[in-house]
Amino acid sequence: MTARRFYGARPPGITTEPLPGRLIVLEGVDGVGRSTQIALLQEWLEHRGFAVIQTGLTRSMVAGRGIQRAKRGNTLDPITLNLLYATDFWDRLERQIVPALHAGMVALADRYIFSLIARARVRGLSGRWLRDLYDFALVPDRVIYLDIDVEQLLPRVLAGGGFDYWESGQDYLRDPNLYQNFIHYQEALLKEFRRLARANRLTTIDARGSVSQVFTRLKSELEGMLDDMAAEPLATGPALVLPSAARSQAPQRLRREQPV
Amino acid sequence: MPPLPTRSVPRTAELLATHDVQAGRRAHDLPGKLFIVEGIDGSGKSTQLDLLHKYLVSEGYLVVFSEWNSSPIVKQTTRRGKRLHLLSPMSFSLIHAADFASRVHAQILPALQAGAIVLADRYVYTAYARDAARGVNRRWLRKLYAFAPQPTLAFYFDVPLDVAIQRITNRGESTKFYEAGMDLNLSPDPWTSFRLFQGRIRREYERLVPEFGLTRIDATDALVRQQQLVRSMVAPHLEGAMKVDRNALGNALWAAGLQGRYLSQSMREEAEA
Repeated sequence: MTARRFYGARPPGITTEPLPGRLIVLEGVDGVGRSTQIALLQEWLEHRGFAVIQTGLTRSMVAGRGIQRAKRGNTLDPITLNLLYATDFWDRLERQIVPALHAGMVALADRYIFSLIARARVRGLSGRWLRDLYDFALVPDRVIYLDIDVEQLLPRVLAGGGFDYWESGQDYLRDPNLYQNFIHYQEALLKEFRRLARANRLTTIDARGSVSQVFTRLKSELEGMLDDMAAEPLATGPALVLPSAARSQAPQRLRREQPV
Repeated sequence: MPPLPTRSVPRTAELLATHDVQAGRRAHDLPGKLFIVEGIDGSGKSTQLDLLHKYLVSEGYLVVFSEWNSSPIVKQTTRRGKRLHLLSPMSFSLIHAADFASRVHAQILPALQAGAIVLADRYVYTAYARDAARGVNRRWLRKLYAFAPQPTLAFYFDVPLDVAIQRITNRGESTKFYEAGMDLNLSPDPWTSFRLFQGRIRREYERLVPEFGLTRIDATDALVRQQQLVRSMVAPHLEGAMKVDRNALGNALWAAGLQGRYLSQSMREEAEA
């Protein structure tokens, strides 16, 4: 079992009991293929016998709808938006991720604090403030950063429905040209992601190429960690949560917390 | 008055980006004045701020009033979280920080930049006291609110717990779930829980008074004496604060020989005042 650490002080409300599960995070810009890879990962993991939960931005009970509502307006500043995301993130950490890890499951997170920090950094917020804010986060067992260039990203985004207001930085870039803003925003974002990946020793995976090529790279990165997990005696986990119980709980929790 | 910002980066972000954890200190550079009140429930702080508000308005000052938990963008989310008891100590803390950030950005900071007087019923110290009483790390809280402009004066209305509880029960109010700290399982009885939780908050305030130089007001003193004290301390800071011409409409009507019968009732009353 890996030792559980937080980036900063242990926040209130988190169990001090062992968390024998594993937290795997996929990071990267919109359109890089995170959700596709997560869906494949879940199937692969379940096929191998691991109990899995998925979590992603704005899927919390407490703030998910609030964020969608706030983003529809035009008076949202980056600090408020970030604090709404932080609320959403914390709620999922507390209600989804930690209970799953406690139950010995694999938690797959579609984006983590790095996306939130990168987005806020390009909008001019202080890096120190963001690090301090998010130091309540649990250090994941593995963070995979899916890296790509804007040229490879463009066709994927266009095929996936075109340029989104927020993903083109329209909230802070004043150029009326959406295409230019998209390029400008995504380049700035990629730069931030790469900087974060270096500074935090995230595992960078080349996300260019076919879905199956990327998935093969992903699997080979995670193989060793999962073998370790499978080899661990269950005794390291809390006695009351058996894998079968964990499995029967999981779908119920996920259904309840899906956004409406 | 400093030059108006021309960059596209929003102002709160600018405050945070350029001044990091010292952001609050920049409030001294702003031409406006910020007066805030703090204290546990039943301390009488809102009554005193309301009296100060009316006084300043009658003196012709332009006053912007900001209330805790009132951001149009965030408050619905907070309300829902409270109603459904979804908030844990950390999410309670974060959602209130979001509400505050939104008000700083859209309400407090622009008014201070323009040179107006801002009155705030509760400020960052409420978060420091309440969230710490829920076990949230004190140092983390201070960093979280680094974007808050520093108040010109911060009043802490100090009241013994028994007096505060007496006042709340006299008002015929019952305890609310989060105000009583029922989320902490201190006691199944709401009033016992309220007493324990507000006692914790009061102890946190005791730490904040010296740390941030809050001005302590004896909230058991006669209301009028408290108000006189508050006004006497606010007065030296009012020089140069933005005023508003309340007779503008009345003068215009008089000069044109009109009665203003198509104006709404409230506008007419203001014009006649």
